[in-house]
Amino acid sequence: MKRAHCVMSISVLLLCALGQPTGVRAQTAPPPVMKASAIQVLMIQSDEIQLPAEFQIALYENLIQQLQKKGGFQHVYREGDHNADGAADLVVLHSTVRGFKKGSEMARNVTTVAGKTQIDVHCQFTDKDGKSVLERDLNGKVQFFGGNLRATLDFAKKGAKLAHDSFVAAPVS
Amino acid sequence: MGQLTMLRAIIFLAGVAGSAALPAVAQQPAAGTKVVQITGLAGVKANAKGSLTPENGNLQFESAKGKASVPIRSVEDVTTGNDSQRIFRGTFGTLTMFAPYGSGRFLSLFRSKLDTLTVQYRDADGGLHGAIFTMPVGQADALKKELVAQGARTSVPVQGDAGSAEAKPSAKEKRP
Repeated sequence: MKRAHCVMSISVLLLCALGQPTGVRAQTAPPPVMKASAIQVLMIQSDEIQLPAEFQIALYENLIQQLQKKGGFQHVYREGDHNADGAADLVVLHSTVRGFKKGSEMARNVTTVAGKTQIDVHCQFTDKDGKSVLERDLNGKVQFFGGNLRATLDFAKKGAKLAHDSFVAAPVS
Repeated sequence: MGQLTMLRAIIFLAGVAGSAALPAVAQQPAAGTKVVQITGLAGVKANAKGSLTPENGNLQFESAKGKASVPIRSVEDVTTGNDSQRIFRGTFGTLTMFAPYGSGRFLSLFRSKLDTLTVQYRDADGGLHGAIFTMPVGQADALKKELVAQGARTSVPVQGDAGSAEAKPSAKEKRP
């Protein structure tokens, strides 16, 4: 009888422990900051960090591709696109590289644990007037398979998700 | 029995490694430089193989599946770099990771060097694009020189023009 009581208590405790984080996660899911039908992506800046040109371009192009793939925005404009001037509810994404560690694909393949490539990017979303509406730090990394440029795809997926969740997703009622 | 399997694996690996170590003959076809378009060229799939030719004021990429053209005057920046890649890539490369006795890891040591060419250009609406190409080592600088000669701009001067005392032929350019 005592044993059954003990098992029951442990089960309840385990359920509570497992249930807690999901509850917290559900509560802290960020509501959309504002609704936007169009987004303009500016070229990735890397004033402080010396970033190879191919990484800068890959970050920019992958970000645009992922935003288009994710859907939700009617238009995804590139930097300098004249058509963005007439867009009504437009958000502009400014990205600045804050950290870059170029790993080694060979080291990853041979050792599995070494050779990670990581890029840290500060993302700032502004409205048409330049007023900041959202700021986040994101990163992109490649730890096991793939070339170093794959880290840019990882960042792009995270950036596109952030933009989608913050400006496209239906508001919580 | 175990020894026989191991011997077979060693012979197989030696054969594969030997064939990989053969010097690759870099051929420059008259049609243009053989490149792989990593990303960024409008209307072309990622990792498409083809040839890149600067002619008649256009940078033309031609592959088996289609063509793309960029006016050289719209090119705002051309830079070169270098990288390396596994000799055994793609599906076969992935399968080698599961080869016995850690031989997949051993095969990862065989790599080929390559040059990268990065081009930033604007489309008709003023939108900024970036394209990345990889090509056999030693060909990116020549292509960049040709592009600059035809009106493309660059943030890093072509090495041959910067003066022989400052130019380092082995070092690739670094962006300011």
